[in-house]
Amino acid sequence: MIANRRHHPASLLFKIGSVIRNLLFIFLILFVFQSGSNSTLVVYGRYAFIAYISWSFVTAILNWLTTTYALDDQGFYLRRGIFSKTEQSIPFSKVQNINRHTSFFHRILRLTSISFETGIAGDDASVKFGVTTKKEASQLEAIVQQQKDFINIENPTIVDGTEDFLVAEPTVFTKKTTDERILHFQPTRRDLLKASMTSFSFLLLIPLLGSVFYNVSDFFNLDERLESVGASILSSPWLIAIAVTILVVASFTFGIIHSFIKYGKYEISSDSQRIYIKKGIFSEASFSIAKERVQAIEITQTFTKRILGLAEVKLISAGSLSLATEDLNISSLYPFLPIKQAYALISELLPGYRIHENMQRLPRRSLWIRMLKPNWIWLIATAILFYFKPKFLGIEEAWWIASSILLVLIVISRVLDFLHTRYCLNEELIQLKNGGFTSTLFVTKREKIVEVEISQNRIQRAFGLSSLQTVTRARPIHTSYLEDVPDQLAVTFHHWYRGRSNEVQLESTE
Amino acid sequence: MNDQYTAPRHSLSPNAVKYWRMDELISNLIAFIVIGVLFYLDWHFEWYEWIFWVLVAITAFFLIGIIWSIVSPPLTFKSWRYDLDKEFLYLQFGIWNHTQQLVPMTKIQAVSLTQGPLMRKFDLASLSVETMGSSHSIPALPKEIASELREQIGHFAKIKEVEQ
Repeated sequence: MIANRRHHPASLLFKIGSVIRNLLFIFLILFVFQSGSNSTLVVYGRYAFIAYISWSFVTAILNWLTTTYALDDQGFYLRRGIFSKTEQSIPFSKVQNINRHTSFFHRILRLTSISFETGIAGDDASVKFGVTTKKEASQLEAIVQQQKDFINIENPTIVDGTEDFLVAEPTVFTKKTTDERILHFQPTRRDLLKASMTSFSFLLLIPLLGSVFYNVSDFFNLDERLESVGASILSSPWLIAIAVTILVVASFTFGIIHSFIKYGKYEISSDSQRIYIKKGIFSEASFSIAKERVQAIEITQTFTKRILGLAEVKLISAGSLSLATEDLNISSLYPFLPIKQAYALISELLPGYRIHENMQRLPRRSLWIRMLKPNWIWLIATAILFYFKPKFLGIEEAWWIASSILLVLIVISRVLDFLHTRYCLNEELIQLKNGGFTSTLFVTKREKIVEVEISQNRIQRAFGLSSLQTVTRARPIHTSYLEDVPDQLAVTFHHWYRGRSNEVQLESTE
Repeated sequence: MNDQYTAPRHSLSPNAVKYWRMDELISNLIAFIVIGVLFYLDWHFEWYEWIFWVLVAITAFFLIGIIWSIVSPPLTFKSWRYDLDKEFLYLQFGIWNHTQQLVPMTKIQAVSLTQGPLMRKFDLASLSVETMGSSHSIPALPKEIASELREQIGHFAKIKEVEQ
């Protein structure tokens, strides 16, 4: 489909650009700030610098010349290496999700980057095209996706050699050519305002100002000027009030702008086969995953989000979810979804997932056993506090006050955890919810669970309680726990999990 | 929580207890020699006093360890059960923490058989199974059963064998 070819020439430009960016500071020291210096260190440093930078350029060019890729109807064929050559072939069927990222520089040059993430362990887990034209990226994406659909039609079981593939309604396959993307979610202004409050992004201004200050004060002497300004402000209460108001207003404005930039252009859409998430204003990122590749769903609520009725929904994939150094975290559907809307969205996107809001609670005795459990953090902290007895704000008894505050927090967190812990086994779905201040609801299908564990220690045995654990594929693997459930549930859980084989067999014979 | 209907049937090799004791004995002997040498050095070079007390503490732990290593093998043996059918590998073990693990055959990626020199003496082998996320092992099986199981699991999981 695509014969052996090199990456886009602009990738060389990006590589050289990053080399220059990394070395700029050293360059400034050697050739600008110390330009008059004749010390041996600086003189030899300059030679070493020139040698290193030319070597970097040469290797960048050679790497570009020797790195090639090709695609046929089965997979990618990658070659690289200047002296020792590496050849790699990655079948499309291993691709778990596709990430696309257009940074600011990509945008200027009308280019983009795309990476195909596989579930393979190790460093070669993704096929990355760091710099490529938009047209080619779309072409690559289309080839990989069509190929997957094609395999699906031919024989549902070869998708990845195991029974992982979930057969959606058979009609899907014939529909796929005509079906269109449906837009499910786009944040409104109100959503964004709420987001800026819950994410506390208005607090970000202070560290940002701090770091700007330190960077600038390397070059200019700001300290003295600021001191004189500070002194004149502190001289009058009016000026103090005005300064504080300006700071608060600036913080909130900054926070709102920050969340508009970060979460503004969010878009969740899907067609019958895949889910697409797009975000970002200055630098765009998008993520797409085939529906049957979604390993599990995680709905997280922090303390503040719970008060406002918001939640973050994450799709768990076996492939990597972020692009290199960029903190994209795009597996998240949207970090500030109203909880009802979140549940609705999930069942819209993934037809198999119907979340039951009516989940079962733990029996009262689970709370007692949790209270009995020794808390090592508290014990160690108290021991250290007792030994050093540090004074805080001149209070002599600070150590036991701190220790009891910690204890109260731990007890509250345990009670909350007990209250939050719920479970539900509903046909092939399992829902596990737990967590103290931050609660997490984990939902998956039993065929996606790689293994289960049921354990019971001596104390739990006396109470007639057990703990459950499920493992699902993710990067790295995802383990979910449900602790101190009644024994009866452990037995049910065991049978429920054994039941997966019936389901799976039915699918492969279909 | 033991369910009669699904409780795994097979236990480990009866030789396991002897093997574990022997294994513990050897490592205890080595540890004993190391501690003895340290005490001698402490006495000979007149190290700081606190070092002596640290050594005493280590010895105390060591003695507890010895007692545990004598008491635990029969308990471990009793706690271990495994079973498999064409769909699942089922493991059950743990003295303090009673644990059951259920691994679908289709999720098993590799099976391997390991046999150390001491194990060979007792005609034992351990079987370890790797899945997508973790690895599990059955510690002491009779050699023939272990290789039989390896074949079986390999067949059920439809995978190629992994060397050692």
